[in-house]
Amino acid sequence: MAKLTINGVSVPIDADPRTPLLWVLREHLGLTGTKFGCGAGTCGACTVHLGDQAVFACQTAIEAVGDTPVTTIEGLSAAGDHPLQRAWIAEQVPQCGYCQSGQIMRAAALLRSTPKPGRDRIIEAMAPNLCRCGTYPRIVRAIERAAKET
Amino acid sequence: MDTAFVEPTRRDVLRSAGLLGFAVLVGGGIVVLPEPAAAQQADPVPLNAWVAVLRTGKVVIRFGSTEMGQGIGTALPMIVAEEMDADWSQVEVRQIDQGPPNVYGNPKTGGILFTAGSSSVEGYFEPLRRAGAGARRVLIHSAAAAWSVPAGEVATEPGWVVHRGSGRRMSFGEVAGLPRLVTDVPAIQEADLKPRSAYRLIGTDPGRRDIPDKTRGSAVYSIDVRLPGMLYASVLPAPVEGERPVTVDGAAAKALAGVVDVVTLSNGVAIVAERWETALAARDLVKVAWTRNSPFRTADSETDLAALVQAATDGGRDAVAWENRGDAASALSAAGDRVVSAVYTTEHTYHAQMEPLAAVAAVDEDGKGAEVWLGTQSQTLSIAAAAQALSTTPDRIRFHAMPMGGAFGRRTFFARDILRDALLLSKQLRRPVKLMWTREDDVKSGWFRPATAHQLDAVLGPGGEVKALRHRVASPSILQFAAPQRWESAAGKDLLVMEGTESSDYAIPDLLADHVLVERRSRVSAWRGIGWAPNCYARECFIDELAAAAGSDPVTIRRRLLSGSPRGLAVLDAVLAMSDFGKAPAGRAHGLSFAGYKSTRGAGVAELSLDDATGQIRVHRFWAAVDPGFAIHPKNLNAQVEGGILFGLSGLLKERISIAGGEVQQSNFHDYEPLRIHEVPEIEVRIVESGAAPSGAGEIGVPMTGAAVANAVHVLTGKRLRRMPFTPERVKAVLSS
Ligand code: FES
Ligand code: FES
Repeated sequence: MAKLTINGVSVPIDADPRTPLLWVLREHLGLTGTKFGCGAGTCGACTVHLGDQAVFACQTAIEAVGDTPVTTIEGLSAAGDHPLQRAWIAEQVPQCGYCQSGQIMRAAALLRSTPKPGRDRIIEAMAPNLCRCGTYPRIVRAIERAAKET
Repeated sequence: MDTAFVEPTRRDVLRSAGLLGFAVLVGGGIVVLPEPAAAQQADPVPLNAWVAVLRTGKVVIRFGSTEMGQGIGTALPMIVAEEMDADWSQVEVRQIDQGPPNVYGNPKTGGILFTAGSSSVEGYFEPLRRAGAGARRVLIHSAAAAWSVPAGEVATEPGWVVHRGSGRRMSFGEVAGLPRLVTDVPAIQEADLKPRSAYRLIGTDPGRRDIPDKTRGSAVYSIDVRLPGMLYASVLPAPVEGERPVTVDGAAAKALAGVVDVVTLSNGVAIVAERWETALAARDLVKVAWTRNSPFRTADSETDLAALVQAATDGGRDAVAWENRGDAASALSAAGDRVVSAVYTTEHTYHAQMEPLAAVAAVDEDGKGAEVWLGTQSQTLSIAAAAQALSTTPDRIRFHAMPMGGAFGRRTFFARDILRDALLLSKQLRRPVKLMWTREDDVKSGWFRPATAHQLDAVLGPGGEVKALRHRVASPSILQFAAPQRWESAAGKDLLVMEGTESSDYAIPDLLADHVLVERRSRVSAWRGIGWAPNCYARECFIDELAAAAGSDPVTIRRRLLSGSPRGLAVLDAVLAMSDFGKAPAGRAHGLSFAGYKSTRGAGVAELSLDDATGQIRVHRFWAAVDPGFAIHPKNLNAQVEGGILFGLSGLLKERISIAGGEVQQSNFHDYEPLRIHEVPEIEVRIVESGAAPSGAGEIGVPMTGAAVANAVHVLTGKRLRRMPFTPERVKAVLSS
């Protein structure tokens, strides 16, 4: 049986190798913080980390994951207090909340590679992720806040 | 899985005791148990239908509206907590999943549990402050009895009951632990309620209760629900509304390991499997021959829009008056060729809520009852729909109204099909079923804001004042389709289409707003902003046209129109000051719009530039002034207005559903793409409190956007944008016309 390393733990996976990581996370493992929005790589609701990279879980077959560790919103921080998660609360970002796991995971990958991104860099990096509720202005402010704190 | 998978101390192992049995599995996964698995905490002592106090001092406040992102699960309990003087840090909030509408219904939505039309605060404010005051009175009388002092000598501080004379104090929790509670207290009168000046909580920003979970991936939406033994279902929808499957070849699908069944439904074919990915794979193998005789086969958004314009502009058509002040018809005919006229159109838009529709149902052994999980804007309507699907009574439906990944009107009357299908499948297969729509299903089977055509005619007085206005809207009826029973008693008046045309803030002596009812050619529904969005767009653009015709300007004409509306004038003046209206930097222009949304007033200014070569509009800044009476939770209200503005801009700049041969032409976000982060303007919102009764803010941002943008484009180019959306190709065409 294939194994994936998810949030630091090796997990046996019983699924067709072509299955998108998104369904394995959500429906096999119950890690439902990662969301399904489009299944087509156009909304970013399913954003997780593959190694250090933000990827669309809906576009990532489990056979392509191999040994690379996967991090989901549930594993971003031990106590749910990653600087971005704290900034998200301070700026009161979420409305419906459905896009927000993906937004936070994409922002976390950005801050890892670019700890002090300017506004333009933030906007460029976040462009793959849709938010229908229109929380974009707060997302930018929250990333700026987290970047300042770290 | 390894128990160290995710730090297990992050959450309680069981949460929400007695409400939903959410068990958090090792690894952070969540499964919803069909029966509450947790023992009750210390027994809550109910003070009335809305409030219970625990001996620990915790106060449980219930609220009737469902959460779709608007923060209502914080604002409504704040009203109760304010009046009862609860300590907010001790308050736990709980949504009502089901309960008697005569106790919990919103008086503004026909007295049922229904969250729509930005009516939650407006409708629940009075009942909830009385509930809070009533709960406080029970606490006071109970403590007074225990102390053997007159209740009149007892007061409250947040979380405490205090005897003034002796200085004795009892926490709310201690009162809850008294052997005898005095619940037969005098009814609350108007004078018993706090004046605004005494508020400690309302008007502050304690933060939304739902936000922390939404940063940790631990908020559970209906699409996230997993039950033991649950099956997964995907439904192939009929390509055109009204078509039915004639023959279904499910052999290849059924041959796939893990496929449980292929089930023919009235308007689709369900593929049910042990796993979701199997259901999706099997779906591609099912061959269906559909009927081909649906009248909707001829639906075509181009020709249907032309027919709407014809209906609006052909003066001979029957129309139902929505509002009639003075005698606009006579004024218009007397004015002859001095009448100023213009025609505006809007087209179908899709909600694009980020969570595709999903429903989970576990039907009982006898097939006559069920437990149901659904993201819905109405518990009452959904329970009724579930009961109808199973030919049973509502008391047999155990209902969980889940947080919604956006709604915007999509989940009002309109979530019933997916619920029915989930129930029928669970009943037939005798296992719990999760039915999910793909994004493609959600688009193709969408219920859209209908296209509308607006004919506006006006007569100007010698001083440039608007003497008469007729606003005629041609559109199918949303109400007729969505709520046939309500339509029967509506006398042809469709509030979902016509609200806003009454222009009640405007001093226009002769005004007629009427509706030419056109037959429905697609599934139609309310969309954030309802009728107010298209109606304010058309009227406010036209007001700018009238200003030009009268040799006046957008500000002067609106000041005059608002002369009888101090609230309207206040938001207008505020937004003019905020934006320094009319003084846009070189290459940019400002456009102004007044807008109402029911009792809430608003005004907006857009600052934009335009790429002549591509026709691309770039909105750089947007200012809004909003009067919601007063704000319960101001920062959240601000966020709602911001979200509404972006929703409106997204729709008017980019969004269009087209239909050909009865089939929706779009399928996913690549061809129906809402606004992205790089397209967002800088937004500034100011709350201008008039002190009137509080009203909603979820939609007021939308109606002001259309005309603010179109009017700015006119300032910049001299061209009117009379067809929404203002896509680059269209703008380019207008520029070269
Ligand atoms: S669900 Fe993966 S990008 Fe939308
Ligand atoms: S918060 Fe609702 S989609 Fe982003």
